[in-house]
Amino acid sequence: MSEQLTYEQALEKLDQKLKLLEDGDLTLEDALKAVDEARVYLKICTERLEAARKKIEIRPEPSE
Amino acid sequence: MIRPEEAQRPYTVTELANEIRRELRPLTALLVKGEVSGMKQGAGGHYNFTIRDGVSRLDAVLFADDARRVTTLPEDGQVFIFRGRVDFFGKTGRLSFITDQVEFDDVGKLRARLEELKRRLEVEGAFAPGRKRRLPFLPQAVALITSPTGAVIHDLQETIWERYPNMGVVVYPVQVQGTAAPLSVSRALRRCNEEDLADVIVVARGGGSFEELYAFNTEVIARAILSSRLPVVTALGHTSDRTVADMVADVEARTPTEAGSRVVPKKADLIALLHERERRLDRETSQRVLRETEKLEVRRARLLQVLPALLRARTDRLAHAAANLARLSPMEQVARREESLREKARRLAASATARLTRSRNAFASRRAADRLERALTERFAIATRGLEHRRQRLLALSPDAVLSRGYSITQDAESGAVVRSASETAVDRKLRIRLATGRLAARVEQVER
Repeated sequence: MSEQLTYEQALEKLDQKLKLLEDGDLTLEDALKAVDEARVYLKICTERLEAARKKIEIRPEPSE
Repeated sequence: MIRPEEAQRPYTVTELANEIRRELRPLTALLVKGEVSGMKQGAGGHYNFTIRDGVSRLDAVLFADDARRVTTLPEDGQVFIFRGRVDFFGKTGRLSFITDQVEFDDVGKLRARLEELKRRLEVEGAFAPGRKRRLPFLPQAVALITSPTGAVIHDLQETIWERYPNMGVVVYPVQVQGTAAPLSVSRALRRCNEEDLADVIVVARGGGSFEELYAFNTEVIARAILSSRLPVVTALGHTSDRTVADMVADVEARTPTEAGSRVVPKKADLIALLHERERRLDRETSQRVLRETEKLEVRRARLLQVLPALLRARTDRLAHAAANLARLSPMEQVARREESLREKARRLAASATARLTRSRNAFASRRAADRLERALTERFAIATRGLEHRRQRLLALSPDAVLSRGYSITQDAESGAVVRSASETAVDRKLRIRLATGRLAARVEQVER
């Protein structure tokens, strides 16, 4: 599972896993695996929400 | 009254007309600014129109030769600067402005250039919706290209942080007005892309007149936006026309507040979204586990139903096998054979006695004492041999061999029955226990079943 996923990508993957689970065609093993993976994506999403750090940076024009 | 010597010969109309033309001659190579109306083309390829300024009006003409040379033809409703001279046409009795050059006035010039730029960009596909870059769903930081002072930057920051309290903001201060503005803004756009501190750019200014917003209609800024790798959102105020910058931008917002809300999602919404997913995940997991538990429970119940029957069959079979085993055990066999031998010995003795009695009777009757004696002796001998033979067999079959290995045979002292099970005796019953050597008389103290 890539740590490079954006919030949106991770959310999409999370939704895919949820759909898979809710469709209910998985074996118990696969379902538990899907739940584990979904939790990883959930965690990535949550981390992405907090990744931005409130900060204001001023980049003045370099004087010529 | 006019005296005859003072009296002038009256002008003919043509003479006066020529006089007027002469008088007007200094009014040549004039520049006049005014709005065009009533533009129409004449049969000879010339144009007639009126120039006016709200108070006064002048007839004007653009001859065919001049019309071919001018860069633009006058259009109704547009303000131009016309160069030409004033002339009087005797034939029509009209004064006309003979136009030989048509120039846009300042704003007109800018607008015309702008239209030309828009046309070129349009042809390039710069405004095509397909070209627009998608805004990131959740940027890590937002770059603001705007004036470092004023309400715009304040509104932008406020909106962004209200929606997303830990959003990063990188400000690129620029001049948003005046001749330096186009280069200042385009340089900042380039730096945003090079420095890569943000995922999305907002170019903002607080509106203004056409002239004040002129920088955002320049090709320099349009090109800088077009070549930006990062998506660009414009927020140039809601008072003016769309600028070229708005048209080439990926998203066009009117106010800083609108730009802020387009660029940054509401964190609270995202958190709610994730919580909703988490709840669904939890629900799915617990439902699944519950479902599996129920399935297991059904199987367990079925197993519990089946198990006793299964067990009973097995225990029955086991008991049966144990009984068979007991029947076949050496000690049992020994006991059984011993019993049968004893029985045979009893029958033998009985039959011997009976025969003896019968023989003795026969002898008495026939008085053949010696024959009897002989026969008797012989039969005794046979019987004795038979007995001996049986004794030997008995010895071989006797439990002594088994007893010598430490086994013992327990019999009821009164009935002589072999005690095979604790249930076959009772407390205080007397027992006889046969050991390899000797016997024991015993009494039952306790029965353990």
